[in-house]
Amino acid sequence: MEPEVVRAELVLPTHLSFKRMQMYEKYPKGQARGRHWKHLKQILQAENFQNYPPDEPNYVNIESPPSMHPCKRICDITGFEAPYSDPRTNLRYAGADVFKLVRSLPNEYVQRYLALRNAAVVLK
Amino acid sequence: MPFISQFHRQSDYNYFSSATPIVIDNGASYFRIGWAGENDPRVIFRNIVQRPRHKSTGETVTIVGDHDPALLKYFDCTRSGPRSAFDSNVVYQFEIMEYILDFGFDRLGANGSQIDHPILITECVCNPVQSRSKMAELLFETYGVPSVAFGVDAAFSYKYNQRRGICNKDGLAICPGFTTTHVIPFIDGEPVYKGCCRTNIGGYHVTDYLKQLLSLKYPHHMARFTWEKVEDLKMEHCYIAPDYASEARLFQKGTKEAEDKTRCWQLPWVPPPVEEPPSEEEIARKAAIKERQGQRLREMAEAKRSSRINELENQLRGMEFLLQQLEQVEEDEIPSFLKDTGYVSKQEIESSLVKVTQSLRKAKGEPKAEQTEVEEKSDSSMNEKFPLVNIPDNMLTPEQLKEKKRQLFLKTTSDGRQRAKQKRQEEELERERRNQLDEEKRLENPELYLEQMHIKYKELSEKVEQRKRLKTNGNHSNGNNVSGGVGRGERLNAAQRERMRLLTTAAFDRGKGEDTFGAKDEDWQLYKLMSKDNDDDDDDGLDEDEVELAHVSSRLQEIDPTFAPKPDAGPSQPAPEVPRLRPLTKEDFQILIGVERFRCPEILFHPNLVGIDQAGLDEMTGVSMRRLSPKDQDLQERLTSSILLTGGSCLYPGLSERLEAGVRMIRPSGSPIKVVRALDPVLDAWRGASTYAAALQFPRQTFSRMDYYEKGEDWLRRYQFCYTL
Repeated sequence: MEPEVVRAELVLPTHLSFKRMQMYEKYPKGQARGRHWKHLKQILQAENFQNYPPDEPNYVNIESPPSMHPCKRICDITGFEAPYSDPRTNLRYAGADVFKLVRSLPNEYVQRYLALRNAAVVLK
Repeated sequence: MPFISQFHRQSDYNYFSSATPIVIDNGASYFRIGWAGENDPRVIFRNIVQRPRHKSTGETVTIVGDHDPALLKYFDCTRSGPRSAFDSNVVYQFEIMEYILDFGFDRLGANGSQIDHPILITECVCNPVQSRSKMAELLFETYGVPSVAFGVDAAFSYKYNQRRGICNKDGLAICPGFTTTHVIPFIDGEPVYKGCCRTNIGGYHVTDYLKQLLSLKYPHHMARFTWEKVEDLKMEHCYIAPDYASEARLFQKGTKEAEDKTRCWQLPWVPPPVEEPPSEEEIARKAAIKERQGQRLREMAEAKRSSRINELENQLRGMEFLLQQLEQVEEDEIPSFLKDTGYVSKQEIESSLVKVTQSLRKAKGEPKAEQTEVEEKSDSSMNEKFPLVNIPDNMLTPEQLKEKKRQLFLKTTSDGRQRAKQKRQEEELERERRNQLDEEKRLENPELYLEQMHIKYKELSEKVEQRKRLKTNGNHSNGNNVSGGVGRGERLNAAQRERMRLLTTAAFDRGKGEDTFGAKDEDWQLYKLMSKDNDDDDDDGLDEDEVELAHVSSRLQEIDPTFAPKPDAGPSQPAPEVPRLRPLTKEDFQILIGVERFRCPEILFHPNLVGIDQAGLDEMTGVSMRRLSPKDQDLQERLTSSILLTGGSCLYPGLSERLEAGVRMIRPSGSPIKVVRALDPVLDAWRGASTYAAALQFPRQTFSRMDYYEKGEDWLRRYQFCYTL
């Protein structure tokens, strides 16, 4: 290791005296270990919240409901108010000059703009 | 800057008794650790882990938190980016969490055989019990912690501010964090999770939105928008617009106000060196140098020429002298006489004499016409010059046979030259004849002739152009391939594509039906088209059409003063070439942030803008109160008169005003509304936790390893920190 790296103590030591069990003992090298952590979705499924009374707060039921306000439509490119939307690309746009830009965008960019508001076409 | 990492190793770990709790604020963006009762955490770092490979040794190492990026040059970070233990606001990856805790305790100075201090660690509201138990297990089993307590960061922050009189015992804590935003109502100083609500949007989404928007707006500078840089931009420039629509309209109209609000980030840019036109002296000096060089070259050439002439003259004189001497020598003695001169016969000397005279003439720069004369002369004396050609082989000695071969060769070459000359003359005649015909036609009917010529020119130029287009690329007019991905098909030009098509059809046609290939002569042309060098066969030299085109256009120029030939310099050059040639200016390296300044944080109020279909900040307060008690107006009034903003994402200027306006809209008119910001929205959670951990009642709130194993999961689920002391 380079001296400046050592001086900054950048790298976490593999052996730490205050631990009862070291990292290398717990997760021995060469064993597949990436997959055994449940993601949040799996954790929530395993919690079986449906078995508990609905008025008891839990991680799922404290979530906010969908907004009651009408959806705000803003131009995907400029951020201005967007009275129009392009039927070909599904992008919302503010005016004629933005429309020109919308039509000149390559599909890759169109999809990235749409992905910003989670409206992109996802091929599975 | 509200977020500053500090990770110097502490040296006073051993001075603290084992009863002093360690307080950890385990936020999704930052990890803060310190001692109970102190006002500030000792160690703060970003809650991320990287596992890059050390470049020189090749070992995989663990790097926790954010370090000086300059030090990372020794590591290969391409394989693994920074990783977080959080999925949304819940810890799920306890391997990463362990690295982070390792680093935290290590920097706090821990050096014993275990962590012998109670621990108060924050978690999210209604943390799933799985995550909570895994965290407890990790602390108990790996670090040997005697006891643990879990609390909610936003609640600690609210209580901390309540104690300082910022907010009341009844109120709302609004906490926009890194990945989620919470609203927690407080009644009598205790959080009521029943009325709590969470929207999955936070500072992470704002930064990501800004990053995406900027890289879409400035695709050339995409590499500049690193996460850290965009985070800095967000913290420095973003604000919440009082009214999004009217603010956006300001920018749309391009008013002066909007211009003032637009921020400009100048990327490093060095102007290209300006080329000054050379001065008079410079030009003169250069011309003089050129002149001198030219003079020298000319002198050299002259010297060379004169030396050559000298040499040739000497040779000539020598040969003449030799010939004179030969006259006096007897016929039989010639071979022996010539032995030491290198010549074989008299004829040879004569022929070389002729050659030398010729080259001497050439060297002296005399007109070539004489040379042709000489040639003709030599033609007439052909038979004398090549006496051996017509004699049969069997009548000759081997010596003479060799001589005959040489003579034959000379004869054929001179014949060839003769024929070429004849052909040239014939062509000349033909051209003249055609020109004459042309001229006659023109004189007959000048207008018709001109028209015909124009038509011909047009046809020819189109033909030539099309061929060129086919050769370069068939689809140059398609604008899309400039920016979009270039597929496999687009890489081949039209001619190559046609060839590929022919090859594939030939490959698949075999054995299908009756084979009639070769019945017609044209069939064999196919191989010519297929051959690889087909597409570059006419690269050298102009083809027929081009020659014809040149001829027609020159003729047109002669007779039609209004005619202007189309510029030949590649009519297939597309227009997009032009801007690339424009020199890059300072403006090309400027990142303008205008609407983005308030568009990005706007998603806190309208998560719809980034496709999250949940209520925004202002609506959430209403939802929260409805959940708590839809009827109790009195309680609701008490709650809205003490709204506390805490958490990292409430630092945007204008947030509290906007929130107040939003809450006013959902409340009956005249109801009291008071929105305050926490003293320090970022550190108050840790400070609140620190005071709780230092309190005398704290040990009653913790649970030990024994409790953890005896009381079971259901108890752990219902475990709740009590905030009223």
